[in-house]
Amino acid sequence: MKEILSVGIDIGTSTTQVIFSRLSVENTSGYFTVPKISIVGKDIIYKGEIHRTPLRTRTLIDGEAVRDIVSAEFQKAGFTPSQTETGAVIITGESARKENSEEVLRYLSDFAGEFVVSTAGPDIESVVAGKGSGAAAYSEENGVAVVNLDIGGGTTNAVIFDDGEAVAKGCLDIGGRLVTVTPDGKLDYISESASLVAQSVGVTLRPGDAARREDLARLCDGYAAVLEQFLGIAEPTPLLSRLKTPGSSDFVLHPKLRAVCFSGGVADFIYGKQDDPFRFGDIGVFLGEAIVRSRICSALRRIGAAETIRATVVGAGTYTTSVSGSTIDYTDGLFPLKNIPVMRLNAEEQRACFGGDSAALAEKFRWFLSQNDCRNAVVAMDGEKDPSYVSVQRLAKAISGALDPVLPAGEPIMVVLRHDMAKVLGRQIRDAVSDKRPVISVDSILVQENDYIDMGRPLMDGMVIPVVVKTLIFG
Amino acid sequence: MEKNDLLSRIIAEVLSEMGGSVPASAVEDVVKASMGASAPAASRVVSSAAADIDIREDITSKECKAVPTLDEPADMDALLRMKSKTPARIGVGRAGGRMKTKTLLTLRADHAAARDAVFMDVDPALLEKMGLFTVQTMCTDKNQFLTRPDLGRRFSDETIREIQSKCVKNPDVQIYASDGLSSTAIKANLENILPAIMDGLKRKGLSVGTPFYVRFGRVGTEDAISEALGCKVVCVLIGERPGLATAESMSAYIAYKATVGMPEARRTVVSNIHSGGIAAVEAGAYIADMIEKIYKAQKSGVELQNG
Repeated sequence: MKEILSVGIDIGTSTTQVIFSRLSVENTSGYFTVPKISIVGKDIIYKGEIHRTPLRTRTLIDGEAVRDIVSAEFQKAGFTPSQTETGAVIITGESARKENSEEVLRYLSDFAGEFVVSTAGPDIESVVAGKGSGAAAYSEENGVAVVNLDIGGGTTNAVIFDDGEAVAKGCLDIGGRLVTVTPDGKLDYISESASLVAQSVGVTLRPGDAARREDLARLCDGYAAVLEQFLGIAEPTPLLSRLKTPGSSDFVLHPKLRAVCFSGGVADFIYGKQDDPFRFGDIGVFLGEAIVRSRICSALRRIGAAETIRATVVGAGTYTTSVSGSTIDYTDGLFPLKNIPVMRLNAEEQRACFGGDSAALAEKFRWFLSQNDCRNAVVAMDGEKDPSYVSVQRLAKAISGALDPVLPAGEPIMVVLRHDMAKVLGRQIRDAVSDKRPVISVDSILVQENDYIDMGRPLMDGMVIPVVVKTLIFG
Repeated sequence: MEKNDLLSRIIAEVLSEMGGSVPASAVEDVVKASMGASAPAASRVVSSAAADIDIREDITSKECKAVPTLDEPADMDALLRMKSKTPARIGVGRAGGRMKTKTLLTLRADHAAARDAVFMDVDPALLEKMGLFTVQTMCTDKNQFLTRPDLGRRFSDETIREIQSKCVKNPDVQIYASDGLSSTAIKANLENILPAIMDGLKRKGLSVGTPFYVRFGRVGTEDAISEALGCKVVCVLIGERPGLATAESMSAYIAYKATVGMPEARRTVVSNIHSGGIAAVEAGAYIADMIEKIYKAQKSGVELQNG
């Protein structure tokens, strides 16, 4: 058994958190079959404090102060940056803007160990939070479609898992800190989103006015109504589209949605009670109570969350790394590799390659490199479950014939497959290029078009490599 | 109406196994119902059993088995997902305390496929196409092969001389195939796995002997063949005893300097090679690595595992 130390850092609109987890990798197959190495254990070994995200202005993160927080958490946990082998830094919610990511990256680069990745964007945040909350695991174990709503300070990140796989992602500008209240009970900040919703429910909110419980409750009932529309429980109104977070995906409703799971800071007021609604100086408590009153909790089965406010950071630190299949092929000495763009072949293109046609692939690959302004890319496809040997030979010739003339000298040919056939394909590609070019061929990895992939140093006698698939990168 | 007669016979047989004698009219009704004709007189139990059966479909096919026969599942979607993850017969429902007719027929059909895998011979055309010559163990027919495991491990002196005359002597690695308990496994996998291993070994710089095929062979033949050809590593690709889930499973048994009478613990095995397990081509690439490892370590089986 091999253990990997993973770090998760989440820098959100309202909070900044750090956790450490230990991933155990083991061969789960018997001695009499081909090895099957997988991550068998994910133990969170250190949960840091929940810090308020240090800001310079309302929207600009103070990178230096973030670095101090992270540095202090590393010390408290008793780890040095060089010990972490994998993990993720995620900048989420309203903080996920370009200036912030550059700022954070500049100050955190010392803590980003060799294999720590940086991801951002509402879509990936939704998925990461849904894994951290346990919604993904519940969906897989029970074979049902579950929606996870991660309700944070500025946004609600939604994801639907069907049988453990994320099938829909979306994000709304609904959160606990979209209205803030001063300690002496006056309305302070009122976001654009809150003004819109207040107007729709006939409540007037003005900074400096006294914060009235019934107004805020009505405002939050308005928010809950939008969430009902979002989940298809109520007829959509124009407000729904106006609250959609810019840059987030269209949330495609699942016809068989059965259960709902809540995470994020507001989830604590859905699963539990808070006597003083003004304790946190915002509308988080009101929002939680409004959601409990809403039809969301009667139309869908409400399942418990493994993590609420820490769901995103736990997801980032624990669920972003996976391992490749256990029969793979690669040239030694190439890893780690970071931020490699993925060029995915559709079924038709794959069929052409299996048929030995390299012309279309060559054209697509050349176009892809120039479009993305990159030197190399991973060719991804499903592959076949039980291919014939001659078809694998043809595929190898098609891939090498297409990529070899296009790639600069020394750049590896990289292939990622879904089905277990990477070892034999890798060997054939090596033969096809007469071992003159390095080759990486791995399988049991699911990637989409426009994904990026990180590949770490091989583990377990070189049988597997750790892989992180991400949908967005910055820096 | 040949199909009709066959169906009548099967259904009569099944029904009689289920509960003693059956009136001919009941069988007729079932047949009619299953052929799409109306069956007004059929008893309720029989007609509902027959409603699941369509003579035109292959009940052993994956597509057919994927359809749950459970009446009114609480969550059809979840059941379909569960079924997609296992070849086990779940979600089949029941008729009173017993299996439904379709479940029973499917079981019998799977069992028949398993028996076929054991009793059929590998098509000589396949062996010829792959350029493999055939030798036979001391067994003279299938029945003897099944009842006399000892003879299935041995060759006559004449056969040993034939093997020696047709094969390269003292190679690093000797690979051959044998029917074992499933000819179907050979048919399904050999064409894809053998070249994958041979090419894999050649690129590693190991010399590979002349491959051939052993009829009526058991795993232990590799000891006699290893001695006869003086190879360092011997590998037999052999059909595994078929089960009701698949009849196509193949294994590779690999040993370093195998000798007749050596302990079984000296064999390294790679099992579960079939379309639902590890694909033949991928297994071939893995086996080539494993053979290289055994060749370099100069040991196999438990000794290799223990380092």
